[in-house]
Amino acid sequence: METINDTLHIERSAPQSRSFSEPFWNATKDKKLVVQYDTEVGKYQWLPRATSRFTGKASKLEWREVAGEGEVYSFTIVRRARPPFRGEEPFFIAVVELPEGVQIMGNTKGITKDEMKIGLKVKPYWHELPDGYHMLMWQKA
Amino acid sequence: MAMRDTAIVAYAETKIVVKGDKDVWALGAEVLEDLLNKTGMEKGEIDGLLLSSAQTGAGNPFWAQATSDQLALEVDFCNIVDIGGSSPLGALARAAIAIDAGLCTTVFCLFADTQGRENNTRPRHYQAEWTVPLGLLGPPTSFGFITNRYEHQFGLDYSMLGKLAVAQRNGAVLNDLACEKLRVPIGVEDYLNSRMIADPIRLLDSVMVCDGASGVLITSKKNAEKKGFTKVVTPIGYGEKTSYEFSENIVDVTNTGHKPAGERALKQAGLTAQDIGSFHPYDDFIIAMMLQMEMIGFCKKGQGCDFIRERDFNFNGDLPLNTGGGQISAGQAGLAGGGTNLVEAVRQLMGEAGARQVKNTSSAMVTGIGGIPYARNWNTSTVMVLTPNG
Repeated sequence: METINDTLHIERSAPQSRSFSEPFWNATKDKKLVVQYDTEVGKYQWLPRATSRFTGKASKLEWREVAGEGEVYSFTIVRRARPPFRGEEPFFIAVVELPEGVQIMGNTKGITKDEMKIGLKVKPYWHELPDGYHMLMWQKA
Repeated sequence: MAMRDTAIVAYAETKIVVKGDKDVWALGAEVLEDLLNKTGMEKGEIDGLLLSSAQTGAGNPFWAQATSDQLALEVDFCNIVDIGGSSPLGALARAAIAIDAGLCTTVFCLFADTQGRENNTRPRHYQAEWTVPLGLLGPPTSFGFITNRYEHQFGLDYSMLGKLAVAQRNGAVLNDLACEKLRVPIGVEDYLNSRMIADPIRLLDSVMVCDGASGVLITSKKNAEKKGFTKVVTPIGYGEKTSYEFSENIVDVTNTGHKPAGERALKQAGLTAQDIGSFHPYDDFIIAMMLQMEMIGFCKKGQGCDFIRERDFNFNGDLPLNTGGGQISAGQAGLAGGGTNLVEAVRQLMGEAGARQVKNTSSAMVTGIGGIPYARNWNTSTVMVLTPNG
């Protein structure tokens, strides 16, 4: 069966964070997944934003830790990529839905072509980045 | 309805090429000169300039002004529309509005981009932080998600997507202005066997990045009559939706903003999808056209493949589709690519499409798609209905 690469040995730079995404990246140093939560409407949101996706306000957002166990909403096999990913194809990008109601994209570790399907249960795999940060990837739960 | 008081009096289009050697302003000037020659109008009669956004112009916050200067156009209304691939249709709609509001009388709508030759895009958005580090190539990856999800929810007969690809390619073969590399007939097997880019998106699902320009001259109906134009095309309905359902956390990616945009456009036009003479949907990927057929009401949601199986999409078929090849088979002139399908619709309604002329010129529908957001389908959806001599 065709092997799908896990992209682990590709050299990635430290995150290019913005003022409003720094708390997420800082939490990855401890391999913790934190997600923005809008206290006014009582909902989580992804990805990190300067404002609430629900109300457009900037004032009612806080960060909450979540377990990160979810299931695949959809996925693709990337077969053509730009450097530094070129030559490392094929690899997965999965959109994963968490019970908190957010969808987070990520590469995968150790998931085979046979195993990958919509609905597959997954959990975080934290891949090391420079400066102590980690990147969120997905592995089988 | 105010838009009905305007008239497109001419269209023009350059050859679409892969990485051309002409400057984007030279292409714009080519379109303008052609429009003036066709109409016999003087440059000084143009008092409005509406541009669609351009990847060549991105990063220059003075792009509309600079283009007005380069084209030697002194105007009373000057604007760029930046709703991605929806921009050409959006620019035409805004031109009609400006004319109706009395801000100007005759507008040059220019759709020019030379993304292959000079791409100056530096988006301040999520990509550098959230998708580039995943090796996400951009649109093909996003459409890979959408397609897999569609198949999961409804099932998908890929040969039906191939049928759309073949019909468009047949159009490109008959279109001298289409990118030469793409003017080779294909069959459904060629589509199915073309290599995967981002499963299940194939090479022949996808647009090829090209350079090119197109444009139209639109004026008030009163002025068109005064000038004696007998062959005109009028926008009779327009709908536009940006950030559709973006305030929802979990959406169905097979739903798009074309549902509300289509409803609005058809209601204004007083027509149903079944009345449309030829359909010119925005085609960055083949499946986008099927989703639009479902959203706009050509068929029911989830039944796109059955609908495609029953219809003939060639210029002489019962629902002519992107008869010049669309962007997928004529080449995508960057963010100006939406102009290619728009100009083709105008050409058809004027009865000037020659070997690929459609029979039913009572109306045409053109659509737009703009922007690829994170884990969604697209940012902006537009739908316009046009009629000849409306």
